Amino acid sequence: MTDYNPDKGYIALLGWSINAIDAMKKFDRRYIVVAPSWAKEYAEKNDIPFMSWNFERLNENSFEIAQMLKDEGVDVAVPLYEETVEWAGAVNAVLLDNPRLLGQSMLFRDKSLMKRRAQLGGIRVGIFEEAHDRDDVARFLRRVNQTLLKQEGDDNDPIHIKAFDLAGCMGHRVVRTVEDVDEIPDSDFPVLMESHLDGWEFAAEAWIHDGKVRFLNISEYVRLGYSVFVPASPELEAMRDKVKAEIEKLIKTFDIKFGFIHPEYFIGPDDVMYFGEVAYRPPGFKVFELLERVYGFNAYQAMVMMFDPKTTEEEIENFLPTPVEDANGYAGCFGVYPRNRVVSRLEIPKETEDHAYFDWHELGEPMETKVSKRSAFGTHWGLVYFHGEDATEMRDLLKRQEEVDFYV
Amino acid sequence: MPSLASLHGFEGPDTVSQADGNQPAPGTDAMHLKRLDSAIARLANASDLLKATYQPGAIDQAGKVLRSAGGLGDCLDRIQALDQAGIFAGTDWNDPAHLKPVLVRHTFEAGAPDALTLETLSELRFLAVARGDYALETLSAEEAHHFLAQVLGLNLERLFGGGTEVSRQIGDDWAQAINGLFKLIAEEIGYSRIFDAVITEIWRILAQRPIQTDRIKAMIAQLATWSGEASSEQPPSGWGADRLVSALFGPTNECREDPGIERYAERLAAIDDKALSQEATAMARAMHDTGLVSAYHAVLLRHLLQHRRELIPDCLGLSATGRENYGSFAPLIQALAEKAIHVETAQAIYGLSLMLERGILHLPPTAPALWRQLKLNLSPETRQRIAASFGPAPDAEAWLLAGVISVLGQPLGVGQGNNPTCQAARAIAMWSYVDPDYLLQLVTWAARDNEIRMPFEGQPVSSRDLTTALAKGPLVEVDPVSAILVPHLDRIYMEMGRLCAGREGDPHRWINPEMHGWWVARDFDIVVDVPTGKLVDVDGFVRRFYTAFHPHYNGNQPVIHPSPAGIAVTDSAARFVGWHAIAIIRVARDPSGEVRVYFFNPNNDSGQDWGDGIVVSTAGNGENYGESSVSIADFASRLYIFHFDALEQAATAAVPQGEIDDIRAKILSSWGRDRV
Repeated sequence: MTDYNPDKGYIALLGWSINAIDAMKKFDRRYIVVAPSWAKEYAEKNDIPFMSWNFERLNENSFEIAQMLKDEGVDVAVPLYEETVEWAGAVNAVLLDNPRLLGQSMLFRDKSLMKRRAQLGGIRVGIFEEAHDRDDVARFLRRVNQTLLKQEGDDNDPIHIKAFDLAGCMGHRVVRTVEDVDEIPDSDFPVLMESHLDGWEFAAEAWIHDGKVRFLNISEYVRLGYSVFVPASPELEAMRDKVKAEIEKLIKTFDIKFGFIHPEYFIGPDDVMYFGEVAYRPPGFKVFELLERVYGFNAYQAMVMMFDPKTTEEEIENFLPTPVEDANGYAGCFGVYPRNRVVSRLEIPKETEDHAYFDWHELGEPMETKVSKRSAFGTHWGLVYFHGEDATEMRDLLKRQEEVDFYV
Repeated sequence: MPSLASLHGFEGPDTVSQADGNQPAPGTDAMHLKRLDSAIARLANASDLLKATYQPGAIDQAGKVLRSAGGLGDCLDRIQALDQAGIFAGTDWNDPAHLKPVLVRHTFEAGAPDALTLETLSELRFLAVARGDYALETLSAEEAHHFLAQVLGLNLERLFGGGTEVSRQIGDDWAQAINGLFKLIAEEIGYSRIFDAVITEIWRILAQRPIQTDRIKAMIAQLATWSGEASSEQPPSGWGADRLVSALFGPTNECREDPGIERYAERLAAIDDKALSQEATAMARAMHDTGLVSAYHAVLLRHLLQHRRELIPDCLGLSATGRENYGSFAPLIQALAEKAIHVETAQAIYGLSLMLERGILHLPPTAPALWRQLKLNLSPETRQRIAASFGPAPDAEAWLLAGVISVLGQPLGVGQGNNPTCQAARAIAMWSYVDPDYLLQLVTWAARDNEIRMPFEGQPVSSRDLTTALAKGPLVEVDPVSAILVPHLDRIYMEMGRLCAGREGDPHRWINPEMHGWWVARDFDIVVDVPTGKLVDVDGFVRRFYTAFHPHYNGNQPVIHPSPAGIAVTDSAARFVGWHAIAIIRVARDPSGEVRVYFFNPNNDSGQDWGDGIVVSTAGNGENYGESSVSIADFASRLYIFHFDALEQAATAAVPQGEIDDIRAKILSSWGRDRV
């Protein structure tokens, strides 16, 4: 790679993401991808600067990769996955000579620590506890429902359990009954348990530079784990100032100077915002792609710009659009999970394909005909993308996708 | 009274009217266009890493737009964006300068959806470049124009709008899109312009005197329609068109205005002897000028059979040799004509004439074998196969006999049609050329018994027990003899190949002599190591080939029997395309004194560009009808196997190393590039 701007930073991407690499190939900064060795051959074949590293738990070798990147001349490391967030913290602590970055990253990686820290910062959170075995979960379920004055025989309010350190929907379960508790495998523990917050759940994406929010997107979930669209509907966007204020609290509480965060919130019936969790990496659902569809800027490039200490004010101003105002319509996506237990082929439902908002899909033919039961919020089989002018229509359309079969 | 041109089914000028095929119809699906633009943007935005990820979706969406009303125009408007986004990246269509007009037809016929889309878009790209709307460094507007004119010439029937088997297979929406594409191209290029290209193309193909002329006749019918319409637009120069059109639809005084079969028959009954004699000679002249036979010719010949047999030699246009043959076998010829020649099979008159000119009736078995053919009972399978390919009238016996006459008269007019059966087509041509009574025997076995047996090194091989064949479906566009014989030969060829499994080297060494006959020499040379595909002893191979075939080094010994050989076919960019079976017919000096190899290529159009300046000639360099030729050095640079008789074709002079060096260089710069 030769066509980079020497006045800009040298970026290390931690983790293997084709879309992120694609963004860097089109960008003006020198970069190197740090990823497990299985990606090496592909990287070499495609002229991708590459350094092989296996991201397991942080250990005494962690300093080694930091030193290697420092020797290479890298200015900053950008985490792409939950699993590389603490590595980025460790590496950047060295590269930027700021030991606090490592501690900060640990907060992002442990949902229990994260909640406590948020609580300490005066951010409103639900009831939560840590569980080490199924007895803990059963007790928490019982206690929460006692608190809610439920009688014997009433339906329980659910609780949520989440692995401490997995991204988004991975390892997320909803527990309503004692039977549900029995289904949790030993391997899931320890977990974080939370009371269920009835309300409107949404996510936000904040690009942060110099301790300030430079671009704030609100992603409207139609159904968690299934569908999302951007920008949010006018109803949710009405909360933008409030959301921004909450995010500024997060920035202060977690002492974030730069980077990208992806927090989730609930809005209760009383319009009070509850903090769910926050991640220091791109969202799992393809919100970045949706943003590019409506705003035309590459969200990965924007993210790298936030991390890069050599980024100028002017560059940021020229790069980022004005939220909502500059958006061309609404872009949404729906994660397809087969509804049938046995499927033979992909067939885009006619009503989906015939809808003017349908844009494209990345679904493939089924690799296997038997569909395993979706545990927790399991991984979808691919996304279907929509684009249109009206938020209400978009929301209804995404909702309707839950009722149709893409695999028959 | 229907004219002949109308009988060909191309009466309605509406099929090629100036209808607004390039105007987007109102209501072009805005939804599909939006998706296409979104797909183009995604593809354009992607770095080379993700091009391959987004390309299939973009191709798919372009295909949907192409198949909707007005979609061609919409894609034409976006062709630069599509091209620059990378819709062709990594596909066979990426580099327009290297595309070949002759491949377009096959792609459209094969009907793979993505290939249909890419092929259509590729033509739109040529169109945009030809119009000057899109500038490419590698392709000038003139080149684009020329390419499209050639594509049109090779796919003219697309303009006719008729539903073919192929278009039925790919679906109506695609057939309409492709026909629309050709209309768009024709209107852009101008009918007057392709008019000339079409005529040139027809004459070029006719110079090879193929047996199967249906497609050419359809083209000429189209020309006739255009000529009628052209009066209103700029007149085409039309050089040579009159002869083509008149040869088919008005070859003589009495049918000049294409009066229709019945009217012509009535006229013949009424005209005097002198006029009838003029009809006979004019008919023959048209036939020998073009290689095409008018249906009126059949009417005349049948009339003469009834009333004036002495005019038959005139009607066949026979030379002294032919007349002498006719005189010796008049009853047989008359019986053959009576049974085989009908309006539908008129083309066989040309075969009948040339058969007499070849003098093969003087080979003792030929005449009796033809008598057998005359009263041969066909198996139900044969009958069914012929009726399916050629229609119910005349009967299957007549069709087959007409086919036999054509093949005997025009051995090198045999073509493999649209089938992967070059070995079988070559075999039929060679038998007709040197062993006509054996061919007649094979036809008898196949048509009557529905079985052919051939020994392979003493072991009997019967086509009846075999199922493995190269041709997967029914044969497409072949003559009646091929239609009957090729399925058997194809299976026997595959079986012989199977019997050679495990032997070292190329199986053709054993198959060729066993399958074709004793006259295929048993010595064999190959320049490729079969297991590795690498070149072996190039210098020795070339030297042995020159020693065997080049008159300067083999004691000026002409080729005696056609010699099966294999060539590595290369495309116009000199890239390897595949192995192909041909037969060396002659090696001789051309009119300029250059030594050329004259060979038979069973494909339907032998005028190929093999790259590196090697263009196969089919006329003008001393070729007989049906022969292809290149200089012997160029031939050697594409040859990879040949047979020879070491005792017969022994060296009399050393081949200069310089010549061998030149040939080796040509091999290494083309198909041998990756075989060192």
